[in-house]
Amino acid sequence: MKQCRIIVLATAFLALTTCLAFAEPTVIQYDCIPNYANWGAVTKAYQKKTGVMVPPDMKGSSASMAALEAEGKSPKADCAYYSGAIGFQAASKGLHEPYKPKGWEKIPAGLKDPNGTWWTVHTGHVAILVNTSALKGKPVPRSFNDLLKPIYKGMIVYDDPRIHGTGFTFVSGINAVLGGGQDLKAGFDYLKKLDNNILKYAKENSYNELLRGEVPIWINADGNGLKAKYVDKAPIEIVIPAEGTVTMPLVMGLVKGAPHKEAAKRYLDWLLSNEAQHLMAESFFQPVMPVKLDSSLQAKFPPKSAYAKAKVLPLDKLAAQADGIKKRWEKEIEGGQ
Amino acid sequence: MLRRSGFIFCLAVTVALMAVILLPLLVVVLGSCVNASLLGLSTDLWSGSRNDIFDFSAFAYIFQNYGDWALFSLELALGCVAICLLVAVPAGYALARHPFPGSLLVEELVLLPLSLPGITLSMGLLAAYGELRGPYLVLAGHLLYTIPFMLRVVTATLRSFDVGRLEAAARSLGATLPQRLFLVILPNLRHAMMVGSLLVFAVSWGEFNVSFLLNRGRPQTFPAVLYDTYTNQSIQISSAATTIFLAIVIPAVIAIQWLGGRESSDLEQGA
Amino acid sequence: MRTLDATIATPPIAQADRRRQLAPLLLSAPLLVLLLALLVWPLAHLLRQSLLLTGAPAAGLTLHNYFEIATVPRYRHALTWSLELSLAVAAGSTLICLAPAWLFTRYQFPGKRLMRGILILPMTFAGMIVGFLMIILLGRTGFIPQLLERLTGKPFLSGVGYQFPGLILAYLYFEIPRATLTLESALRKLDSRLEQAGRSLGANRWQVFYLVVLPVIRPALISTFAVTFSVSLGSFGVLLVLSIRRFTLLPLEIFTQYIAPPTDQGLAAAMSFTLLAVAFATGYGLRQVARRMEGGNA
Repeated sequence: MKQCRIIVLATAFLALTTCLAFAEPTVIQYDCIPNYANWGAVTKAYQKKTGVMVPPDMKGSSASMAALEAEGKSPKADCAYYSGAIGFQAASKGLHEPYKPKGWEKIPAGLKDPNGTWWTVHTGHVAILVNTSALKGKPVPRSFNDLLKPIYKGMIVYDDPRIHGTGFTFVSGINAVLGGGQDLKAGFDYLKKLDNNILKYAKENSYNELLRGEVPIWINADGNGLKAKYVDKAPIEIVIPAEGTVTMPLVMGLVKGAPHKEAAKRYLDWLLSNEAQHLMAESFFQPVMPVKLDSSLQAKFPPKSAYAKAKVLPLDKLAAQADGIKKRWEKEIEGGQ
Repeated sequence: MLRRSGFIFCLAVTVALMAVILLPLLVVVLGSCVNASLLGLSTDLWSGSRNDIFDFSAFAYIFQNYGDWALFSLELALGCVAICLLVAVPAGYALARHPFPGSLLVEELVLLPLSLPGITLSMGLLAAYGELRGPYLVLAGHLLYTIPFMLRVVTATLRSFDVGRLEAAARSLGATLPQRLFLVILPNLRHAMMVGSLLVFAVSWGEFNVSFLLNRGRPQTFPAVLYDTYTNQSIQISSAATTIFLAIVIPAVIAIQWLGGRESSDLEQGA
Repeated sequence: MRTLDATIATPPIAQADRRRQLAPLLLSAPLLVLLLALLVWPLAHLLRQSLLLTGAPAAGLTLHNYFEIATVPRYRHALTWSLELSLAVAAGSTLICLAPAWLFTRYQFPGKRLMRGILILPMTFAGMIVGFLMIILLGRTGFIPQLLERLTGKPFLSGVGYQFPGLILAYLYFEIPRATLTLESALRKLDSRLEQAGRSLGANRWQVFYLVVLPVIRPALISTFAVTFSVSLGSFGVLLVLSIRRFTLLPLEIFTQYIAPPTDQGLAAAMSFTLLAVAFATGYGLRQVARRMEGGNA
């Protein structure tokens, strides 16, 4: 009868798919956005080398942390990737298991947790990424103050800091860049003024939209802009603002209770290997390991002088203030109060 | 003359609505395989580097990376169909032909999820079964939305005059309940079950809001592929994903239309 | 049959009666179990969660979360704007879809099934998908602005997708199928003899519509309004994608609580329940009104 046939079909499919599920070994990384720090190419290289698939995951730093918290004792992820302060926060919430990957000793002391609950994989900086053809003749902004000019109305995007780590780093770091004090007033005043020119607070990664010109000006990591310019050959200009910028360590940790622990450890080891770090350098993020870059690659990075005013912010302090900063941003900037 | 004007007015509005609905879909389907840069439209990374007018490589990318998600969605949809048939058909018979005290309330409750916000239902399921997050919880969410359809289809048919008469005749000839069910009711419900199954399939395949919140890890449902690719891949890839999505949904809708006839609008409403 | 049974009232028949009562319950049992497990229990749980303070669950039941919704401007606006948007969309789609519903029930013409199929298509699209379609069509570099730029030199409508017209359009997009189908089935039940009678008495087409048809389909209009209202109320996907400035909706607030830490479980539950209450009350209330009207017209 019809019912029987359908049930048979359904069971067959179930059986088939469970088989397929076991077919490919995987490691799950939360926040593995293909076009952020070129995770697409990095994970592809790993798959080619070992046959282990690390699928794309679109969660931002804070969203990953929220997911891990919600999953509690049975996390679905093996490891996670975050913007510095959020990674620190996640580790201090006990979401990570201590692990020191191969090459641990070579990581500078300030860029890792002494117990191994988090460590830096590569570093970026907050920059202004501009699609020059989408500007349609307007001058390229050269500083954070330039962004406040009315000619850029409806052209600027930065990521929602409640969801994405880079957006959070920008929102929390702009105060230091502008020389503000403990109360973060300078930073928030700036963000309020910038709000007039904002097109939207992106809840998703805007890489493709930058390429398309849908988003003409994107405040994000310099590495992503450089990849857009040199690898994807788009008309992008990477501006390190005149006032300075924030150094953004990007960190990872092994999730406590990871479902594929051994495979995850091997993956995390590989990420600090010469091969992986070189790939990350080719994607224009500063590798944390001492890797030799050939001169042509080095030349594509903005000159060291541009980064002279780059501020390094204390991660522990930022992590402690994170929730407060997000709530304040939500109230004052997004809510306009 | 006036009849004409009425017709033309309604036709004009309907065609306008059709155009509004079709336009983005056409752009998307074309975007999945036509090289936009050659047409002078602004492009992003995927299409900018090819030289042919037609290029289907985006589809290959989707199958490679999200093939198991498509299978998962199909599996869920078929599972929903199976469970709906097993659960809603007998219950529909009981509710329509042998109402018991409270059966009206039961029917109302079953139809309730269709008028409640999806996020509330997801939050409820999470509050009660949060630990079980994963494919089974997603199935539960899908069932909440699909059982009402099947039930409605079945009860609508059973409440019609013809089936009632047939069953009464069989009863008067001494047929027992099981005999009536299998020899009279089910054969007459075949059409309704077919339409119901297609509806359940289409609804489950397209369901996103609830699935997105209740699932964890991979694979996710196919509409989540659309979300993934729209947020992080080029227009060509996300268009390819959308085209594949439509390729499954459109035949189901066509089949419902074709089979439906007079009853189909009653059955489809309240989605 | 009944009378025959009654005259042979003996215990065997009483047993058969009990079986007759038991059988439908047994048949509905799986459905009842699912209903309890998937609908009643979770909603009860949610209600309980909404009455607890997230930070201090031991403090007992309290209406604090609900007060928070009423007092914090952000959440209060989320609720009122949700209501306003849903009312507007419901009214708009109900009125607009009268035309196709009328067309499909009153006229025969080639291609009717195709048209109807196309109008029904968006029913399976999630709000998020529709949001993306809007950006593809009307974003800064959307298809329409680019086309208009090609034709006229200026990119008209660029970025409209990120403003209110884009939002309304997106909502209408996925409400059109439901509104059309609901109205269609109601119009189908309408006796065309009434219209003929009206016309034979000398009324023109529009008079027939206003004076004969409209009063009779009023209950159908109200039910359609109720359905589209509750569906719009719960949709957050569109706004999630379009990210309209200085605007929020209650379901989106719930979603943000969920996806961006720190999560206030109690508050999210209270917001969910508020949404449920509003949707249910409006839907139920309107359906009662419609039913009463239908009763009057029978």
